[in-house]
Amino acid sequence: MKFNLLVFQKVFRKIGSYVFNFFYDIGDVFFFFLLFIKNLLTDKFYPRLFFNQIVKIGFNSLPVVGLTAIFTGMVLALQSYTGFSRFSAESAIPNVVVLSITRELAPVLAGLMVAGRAGAAIAAEIGTMKVTEQIDALKTLSTNPFSYLVTPRVIAGIISLPFLVLIGDIIGVLGGYLICVNLLNFNPSVYLQNTYNFVEFIDIFSGLVKAAVFGFIITFIGCYFGFNTKGGAQGVGQSTTYSVVSSSILILLMNYIITSLFFKL
Amino acid sequence: MRKLKIEIKKLSKNFEKRFVLKDLDLNIYESESLSIIGESGSGKSVLARCITGLTEFEKGKILTDDSKDVMRMSSKSLNEHISKFGILFQNSALLDSLSVEENLKFTDKNINLSEILNEINLTKKILKKFPSEISVGDQKRVGLARAILKEPEILILDEPTTGLDPLISNQINILIKNIVEKKKITAVTITHDMTSVNEYGEKVAFLRSGKIEWYGDAKKIYDTKNKNLKNFIDGAL
Ligand SMILES: Nc1ncnc2c1ncn2[C@@H]1O[C@H](COP(=O)(O)OP(=O)(O)OP(=O)(O)O)[C@@H](O)[C@H]1O
Ligand SMILES: [Mg+2]
Repeated sequence: MKFNLLVFQKVFRKIGSYVFNFFYDIGDVFFFFLLFIKNLLTDKFYPRLFFNQIVKIGFNSLPVVGLTAIFTGMVLALQSYTGFSRFSAESAIPNVVVLSITRELAPVLAGLMVAGRAGAAIAAEIGTMKVTEQIDALKTLSTNPFSYLVTPRVIAGIISLPFLVLIGDIIGVLGGYLICVNLLNFNPSVYLQNTYNFVEFIDIFSGLVKAAVFGFIITFIGCYFGFNTKGGAQGVGQSTTYSVVSSSILILLMNYIITSLFFKL
Repeated sequence: MRKLKIEIKKLSKNFEKRFVLKDLDLNIYESESLSIIGESGSGKSVLARCITGLTEFEKGKILTDDSKDVMRMSSKSLNEHISKFGILFQNSALLDSLSVEENLKFTDKNINLSEILNEINLTKKILKKFPSEISVGDQKRVGLARAILKEPEILILDEPTTGLDPLISNQINILIKNIVEKKKITAVTITHDMTSVNEYGEKVAFLRSGKIEWYGDAKKIYDTKNKNLKNFIDGAL
């Protein structure tokens, strides 16, 4: 009897500490967010660092986002052909391709790719600066590390992701086009006309809204884990992993939330 | 006539439940060169981080010359407090995304670097390199230059010579000596290199078990009766 109680106590303590840590972390992230807003509004902005980050986060992600988009468009065309040909609805392929790409696949896949690429790099870079006291050095040089490191990255993320996704949209549709025209004998101009007539502003717009939100998540989470890195190289590795995992999950979660918001509109 | 610059009262600092500093008292006086010595892991770097306001601590007070407490400052005055210091960090902490030149010109773009390069015995060739491309000794020199260039009220040097060969250690010691004596700056040097103490230490504080176990004139350190300090000096020499 006594033994059982002890086990219960242990289990509840464990659960309690997990719950506590969970809310503690949420509070911590929220505080980081408030700091971000405060520094954004009141402190110096570094245009040069911002442009550097546009290049790093946006421009340098073009190849991987482009590749992801083109293959996704191609696969979509093939797969929907398999399905639609069973009830002779092949002509709907362009519609399915453009809708899936703009609303879902381009933003989500670009988000996940950039999270793996730029988000990880941000966490690693800032984490290294943290454990090697470079962030402390910044403070002694009268520089606010937040404005110097976080603001340029997060703003660059919010701005570059929509551009990446817009390009991803075009390349994805092109992927579907290539398959349909070259492999499935579609008429090229009919395909494009179909796509153009079918797609609505809201399809593209909702995708770009998602992209901006994902851009924020990726860079913000990367900065958060970077700033909270402890220990040495091992700590940096851990921050990098955490940052990629949490931003990927958050991207999928927010994707659902934003989709359902636009669904109601 | 000795003007108090920083007054540390009953400072305690724990990591998790293990204490590193416990009820530590120490005064730092203006224009004096203080050496803090102690074994590896005794908390010297932690003490420096507390003084500069880079690390929070649980108990005690660190008072500045305008009798403000570092732990109870608004974030604005804390930032001002931190920027009073020029710090040579234990591993230099140069910004590794910037070239040496950009590191040195970080706070003032228009500064002329030839004088400082002369002072730290480096040539212009190093300016275009990145911190990861230069030797640890040169990193320390650049870190020292960065700390001095901002004309700080207080200079903190965390183990400026550790990990360097005796020749370069000596050069760096002489360099620091010149700077400390010429600029009459308040300087705190953390070290276990007794030659550093001999070269430019005026006062010495010996840190052990979280407290300052011995404090006094650098010249009198070899006459000490304190056994732990004696052992430390013997070991260090
Ligand atoms: N961020 C930290 N988290 C946990 N423990 C820490 C942290 N920083 C320092 N410590 C512990 O505090 C103690 C003092 O560390 P500190 O770096 O001040 O030593 P030190 O006197 O500077 O040694 P050294 O001469 O090797 O530089 C060590 O035992 C270290 O393990
Ligand atoms: Mg140390």
